Amino acid sequence: MTHATTPAPAGISSRRARFWTDNKSTLIGCGILVALMIVVPFTANSSVMNIVVFAMIFALPAIGLNLLMGLAGQVSLGQAAFFAIGAYTHAILLTKLDLPGPVAATVGVLAAMLVALLVGLPLMRLRGHYLALATLGLGFIVMIGVREWDVTGRTTGIYGISRPTVFGVPIDNSGFFLWFVTPFVVIGLILALNLTRSRAGRALSAVNDSELAAESLGVNTYALRLKVFVLSAGFAGLGGVFYAYQVAIVSPTTAEFHLSVSILLMVVIGGLGSVWGAVAGAFLVQFLGEGMRDVIPAIFPGATGEVQLLGYGIVLILVILLLPGGLHQAATTLWQKLPFAGKRPPVDAHAHAAEDDTTIPLLPAVSTPVAAGEPILVLEGLTKRYGGVVAVNDVSLTVPAGSILGLIGPNGAGKTTCFNMISGALAPTEGTVTFLGQVISGRKPHVAAAHGLTRTFQNLQVFSSTDVVGNVYMGRYRKGSAGVLRGMLGLQSGEQSAHRAAAYEILQSMRLTDAADDSASDLSFGKQRIMEVCRALAAEPALLLLDEPMAGLSSTEREVMAELLRRLRASGLTIVLVEHDVAQVMSLADHVAVLDDGVLIAHGDPESVRNDPAVVVAYLGTDLDEAEAELTELEEHA
Amino acid sequence: MLTDFLQLTVAGLSQGSVYALLAVGLIAVYTVRHVINIAQGEFAMLAGLGSVWLTAAGMPLLLAILVAILSVTLVAIAMDRLIIARVKKLTPLISIILTLGVSTLLQAIMLLAWGPEAKGVPLFPGTNILIGGVSIRSQEFWMIGALVVVGGGIVLFYEKSRWGKALRACAEQPVAARIVGISPVAASVLAFAIAGFVGGVAGVVASPIYLSLWSGGVLLGLKGFVAAVLGGFVSFRAAIVGALLLGMIEAYVAGYVSSGLRDGAAFLILILVLVVRPQGLVLKPTAVRV
Repeated sequence: MTHATTPAPAGISSRRARFWTDNKSTLIGCGILVALMIVVPFTANSSVMNIVVFAMIFALPAIGLNLLMGLAGQVSLGQAAFFAIGAYTHAILLTKLDLPGPVAATVGVLAAMLVALLVGLPLMRLRGHYLALATLGLGFIVMIGVREWDVTGRTTGIYGISRPTVFGVPIDNSGFFLWFVTPFVVIGLILALNLTRSRAGRALSAVNDSELAAESLGVNTYALRLKVFVLSAGFAGLGGVFYAYQVAIVSPTTAEFHLSVSILLMVVIGGLGSVWGAVAGAFLVQFLGEGMRDVIPAIFPGATGEVQLLGYGIVLILVILLLPGGLHQAATTLWQKLPFAGKRPPVDAHAHAAEDDTTIPLLPAVSTPVAAGEPILVLEGLTKRYGGVVAVNDVSLTVPAGSILGLIGPNGAGKTTCFNMISGALAPTEGTVTFLGQVISGRKPHVAAAHGLTRTFQNLQVFSSTDVVGNVYMGRYRKGSAGVLRGMLGLQSGEQSAHRAAAYEILQSMRLTDAADDSASDLSFGKQRIMEVCRALAAEPALLLLDEPMAGLSSTEREVMAELLRRLRASGLTIVLVEHDVAQVMSLADHVAVLDDGVLIAHGDPESVRNDPAVVVAYLGTDLDEAEAELTELEEHA
Repeated sequence: MLTDFLQLTVAGLSQGSVYALLAVGLIAVYTVRHVINIAQGEFAMLAGLGSVWLTAAGMPLLLAILVAILSVTLVAIAMDRLIIARVKKLTPLISIILTLGVSTLLQAIMLLAWGPEAKGVPLFPGTNILIGGVSIRSQEFWMIGALVVVGGGIVLFYEKSRWGKALRACAEQPVAARIVGISPVAASVLAFAIAGFVGGVAGVVASPIYLSLWSGGVLLGLKGFVAAVLGGFVSFRAAIVGALLLGMIEAYVAGYVSSGLRDGAAFLILILVLVVRPQGLVLKPTAVRV
């Protein structure tokens, strides 16, 4: 097809450079962390040493929770439960079954992940606060369970856990222990950092911006969130394993709610979604807790117990009120204020085209599994009722491949509802949608996307946390294959840069390359619309649903858009278009369908629809004189 | 046999009444603010420990519990104005973190002020009665009575009074409610006041038997949450029924299985309900009712 191989688009080389800088910062960061951890045992006194060891242990559950909160947008108030499951399993296998350390540790981590899977399988379908409260409940269940069960030693817990031996060296002091735990934290950190930058991580952050748009591009939100939840439990379980080693006794307090609160505090202080923040948060919270335990009894004589909670509560509230992005936000703000923090280099101006030029420099690829003229989309008796209101009433339509269908009708006629039912955003009350011979109605949008159907939105659904090219890049989601595991191991940079190049080419076809590095939410309304079309095209769909793609566009932009759509049709793409610009629809579409009050009142070629009296009355108003006038005007346009 | 069962039922109903009051508070805040208030249970503990302190200082019992309940109501309003209302975009994630922060702060304050031991308010006046071998403690009447009077009063308030209807309007159509002149600030203050008030009442009536503990609020609040989930987080009536059921199930588990497993029952129910029927006991899941 016309998918031309072009010279590297503007910015690719700088993108590569940025990729290296990103990894460089990870390496430098890990280097500093490792160096500090090597030095600390020689310089710190025993109480600081203790704090550092626990900070490193708790950094693991904090990294896990940070992934869950930052990527999956969900919060677990039961991170301590998974921590405890890891610790108990490890301790029991070591003391009662005498298993070797690595085996016991692995089983401990897997046990935490298994419980998360069982809890998450039903619960990750629910949104909002349910997971938080269910995990809070899980924390209590685990605590009650270990307190009541003989195997877990009831209230005494499990004790007599001996320290591990590495290469014949017994890890019998805090210094050795710190060196024992540090490599695991560093590996966990790198895996987590890779994940946030991977295909899966980007998809999840897109989900947090707009779940609807992400799912329409093929993201299976539920499956991804579940994986992240299980992963976060694995991190917590690993933390528990080290805790069991360090403390040498595992008691029901390991599952305590206050421990979950302190892990949550680490993530909040560090900044949601910032992996480094979670590690920094772990250190801060350990020092804060220790400091509070020293200071509070001095101020309030006789105060005992968990007095550090005073600080935890105050800090939780203040961070959310004053610095919702945590340390990460503070650090970024500071960095940008530094004089040597370079601004982004200005984009090359060579991509500029004359403002009134409507030629298309490049045409995005399309995939057409059926021959032109064959039915690609079939609606049968499609109906949507809301209580007594019928939004869409018994609509049946067949869309032949390689054509443009214009769907028009007055406001509230049910056009967008139709779109939502076709794309899977809404389940029809009755009727079916068959796409490429498969019934897709009533399934989630990512199912339709997997079959090659993509859409844009009347109410824009931009991924506002990334830039323009990042948005279009998300359109390539279905074209990629790297999963969570490959993402964590960082084995997908080749795939990523290929998709990035493809995203640039598509931006070029709509001449958005100039804005490629701009934040998506900074674009004008019209440009955001064009970007959404680019994003949908990036998925190389067989059927494209466009919901008012011309709204808010300048007349030149409309011409470019129309030209693009014509050429896409010529290369085999099927397009269904909802549009208020009737003149554009009439000149573009091969067929026009008219909806009025949810009923399909006309369907045919533009000429016959334009002269259909029912359409004239329903669509253009009941006043026939006015309708006549509108008609003449339309003809002049066409 | 039957006597045991009835005895457990009475204990369950009285305990369930406390959960029901907490659920009412949770729903009141949730419908107006879409905030799950994790600090709801702390309101109860605060009122309980406050009353203990006031009575120990020599205040008459009735006056002490009134002062405690009203103070907790003010604490709830302050929580709304000083903390919750300051966040512009209140996502579920942020609201959970914030109310968790308040919950933790209140716990720490109680720990510092009144120490780590569990304490009970003196028993309320009244005599225990014995019907057919089932003994009902007077305090249990107070607990059930508190639900009937306060819980029933709030349901009536929502259904009959002008302000109650305004709150329902805020819950169903916040923008429209604003347009017709219902102040969102007033609605929010009222919702938190109700949450603080019912939490305070629950805390003082339960304290003589079940004691008040600085860290006991989370568990208690969570049981209120389980009841609220049974009510689909919209229906007071369904939540109250759910709370009473929960109280009874807990009592049976404690009586027939093991008292240690009692608290586990609530959360197994929670997870089961979320899996099987997240809309709760409400029959019409889509309708927003209060």
